Amino acid sequence: MNELKEVIIKRIKANFADAAERNDFKDNRLDIAVKKETIPSILFYLKDEMGFIHLSDIICVDWLEEGELEVVFILWSPVDKIKVFVRTRLDRDNPVMDNVDMIWRQANTYEREMREMFGVQFTGLVAPDEFILEDWQGPPPFRRDFDTAAYAEKTFWQRPGREDAQDVRETIAKRDGEEIPDFAKKYSR
Amino acid sequence: MNDKNSQKIVDIIQNWARKHSIWVLAYGTGCGAIEIPPTMTSRYDAERLGVRGAATPRQADVLLISGYLTVKTIKRVIRVYEQMQDPKYVIGFGSCTINGGMYYDSYNTINVLDRYLPVDVYINGCMPRPEAVLSGFAQLQKRIAAGRATGAQHYKENLEWYRANQKKIIPNWVMPDYNW
Repeated sequence: MNELKEVIIKRIKANFADAAERNDFKDNRLDIAVKKETIPSILFYLKDEMGFIHLSDIICVDWLEEGELEVVFILWSPVDKIKVFVRTRLDRDNPVMDNVDMIWRQANTYEREMREMFGVQFTGLVAPDEFILEDWQGPPPFRRDFDTAAYAEKTFWQRPGREDAQDVRETIAKRDGEEIPDFAKKYSR
Repeated sequence: MNDKNSQKIVDIIQNWARKHSIWVLAYGTGCGAIEIPPTMTSRYDAERLGVRGAATPRQADVLLISGYLTVKTIKRVIRVYEQMQDPKYVIGFGSCTINGGMYYDSYNTINVLDRYLPVDVYINGCMPRPEAVLSGFAQLQKRIAAGRATGAQHYKENLEWYRANQKKIIPNWVMPDYNW
């Protein structure tokens, strides 16, 4: 299996100069980072030449501290039984990359979701603006700097808690005339 | 016999009849929908209490809202509720309808259902078992018999307050304003 991996990495590196391999300890997994301009060509190459015909997923990772968004394409080769992760980094303030739904039709759905949830723009993506959220007016909600709790408190009314703030364990023990065991006491209020 | 007393007798008979034929429109929004089949089928058999499913909102008496409501679903729920004909009642099912439950800080689910629709009976729990659902229906029957399940009337009287709350979370309001 490792020999097969090395052959695949060699072939990718021979064709794409900017492909950087990351260390992956699993036998059937490859991890490749490329620049965003290379993405369509490397995906075409992997699908047509290397047999990675199945697009498992496209995911987005928010690297807030580094000011970048990472888009990861997960491909699977049913012949070689190898999974490959193709990663690319985008600028967080202006996340634009190429649309790849001409390679896999189903990529369209993932791209619509990423556009709505992370604000990643895909040039040439033909799809309606709204995907899951309706009438959304705030920032993209899956970004890490979006404070969901503060937004929920502002938008949806919160029911206030009980004023007496009873400890349920103590109340039940008192009612039933039981003693709270020692190991449970540290959880009491 | 004056009108007031005869109306009282009519009310008693009406409430008695309504109590024993609760037709439910189960709006399975969240995980609560999975508790409704065992409640309705032979194991717990809610039909012996007169509780059975209805096909459409116009044929239903009770709107059973099972679980969390997103902003997108509450639009449909409001529309369904306003299509129902009197007498109509709402049962809020599960913690999510009471105070948001485990989704209290979600960006897209409402926290308190009775800000948007008049709830007659809440069933708490996450999830409530079929026994709890039946207990909730029994409670609703008691309230109907006592003439205290007046959520629909409250909704009509305070429509402006409910509408304001609804429009606060649904900025793009495209639904018809029903004529009461």
